[in-house]
Amino acid sequence: MSAALIVDLGLTLLILGLGVWTVAARSNNGAVVGYIAYGLLVALVWVRLAAVDVALTEAAIGSGLTGLLLLGVATRLPRSARLTRPPTGLGTRLLAGFLSAAVAGGLAAVVLLLPDPAPTLAPSVAANLPATGLGNPVTGVLIAFRAIDTLLESVVLVFAIIGVWSLAPKDGWGERPGWLRPAPLGSALTLLAQLLPPIGILVGIHLFWTGATAPGGAFQGGAVLAAMWVLAMIAGLARPPAVSRRWLRLMLVAGPALFLTVGIAGIWLAGAFLAYPVAYAKPLILVIEAALTLSIAAALGLLLAGPPEHPSAAERQP
Amino acid sequence: MDIADFLLAAAVFVLATVALGLTRILRGPSDVDRMMAAQLLGTGGVAALLLLGVATDMNAITDLALVLALLAAFASVALVADARRPEPEPVPDDAHPEGKTRT
Repeated sequence: MSAALIVDLGLTLLILGLGVWTVAARSNNGAVVGYIAYGLLVALVWVRLAAVDVALTEAAIGSGLTGLLLLGVATRLPRSARLTRPPTGLGTRLLAGFLSAAVAGGLAAVVLLLPDPAPTLAPSVAANLPATGLGNPVTGVLIAFRAIDTLLESVVLVFAIIGVWSLAPKDGWGERPGWLRPAPLGSALTLLAQLLPPIGILVGIHLFWTGATAPGGAFQGGAVLAAMWVLAMIAGLARPPAVSRRWLRLMLVAGPALFLTVGIAGIWLAGAFLAYPVAYAKPLILVIEAALTLSIAAALGLLLAGPPEHPSAAERQP
Repeated sequence: MDIADFLLAAAVFVLATVALGLTRILRGPSDVDRMMAAQLLGTGGVAALLLLGVATDMNAITDLALVLALLAAFASVALVADARRPEPEPVPDDAHPEGKTRT
């Protein structure tokens, strides 16, 4: 096991070093690149902890899409917010550092003080998993045992879109999102955007489908699909749809709405809100996951596409 | 030394080379150097994951390597797309005149 120990130690040291550097980085772009690399390393750590589901989410959302979002934000900040000189005094920074260290220390203490064996519901999940027809306990917890959490999370994504859209300028409402400025056709980006999406769409659907029995699921699959959509939009092969389109809005709410409908139907069919009739548990879960994948892909893609802008605003800044 | 140990040792080697590349993230000097180091980390991460997956007999890791390979290129796409943007401050240009007339 010595090789495994060296991998773990090396990963820990890399993450700590990169984390410190990212916090201390002087340029916004540099800090974002550090954060992306940090996310990649965290995904490796989750693999070492045998939590492949979390590693998939971290790789797809934490490192992939969030990195894209933060890079876009870093270049959009007005120059006054890009100052290399820290805007606050030494006392404020010391206080912030002290509070952050206290939170980190408190979390570490809680983890170290856990009773041994740690309290866990894993055995009861394993005992009840066959009733759902699923093979992946993580999916079982997300979509059956703690379905209310997942339902609320899927609604939060819709709220996030409403928040981004509400930043639309006065004449921009109902137009197309304007953050992604398409590249001229014929560049290397065009080739990438033609080659990658067929593979990416396949992988996204595979992740959703395999989520029933192996690590994967709606969120990871949706994130990969969203990434492919955004790539096509950045390359100029697809235009972001106008936010007033009805099909777009239906797509955004399809997942949460179906989830909620099945959940309410469960009151009569299975005796409780968000309970599934045992005979139909697996097909119902798959249908909900499929709708959620679609809605999550649409929501994440639109989050990256930004608020709607009047077409003339896009012409002013090509 | 059995095969799993050998594969783990190979993963250690790949991670060590990536760690050397990480010095480019720390030192720069430009954002492009940093992004290239992050890309190297993505490639090395995929290799280390595949080695780990075989060594520990976890098939799901292959899916993770697939996702990393798909999305690792994304950050550089975004960096290039943003670097091409000629107007660095579109937001205040739109927002300022209105804000002033209102106050």
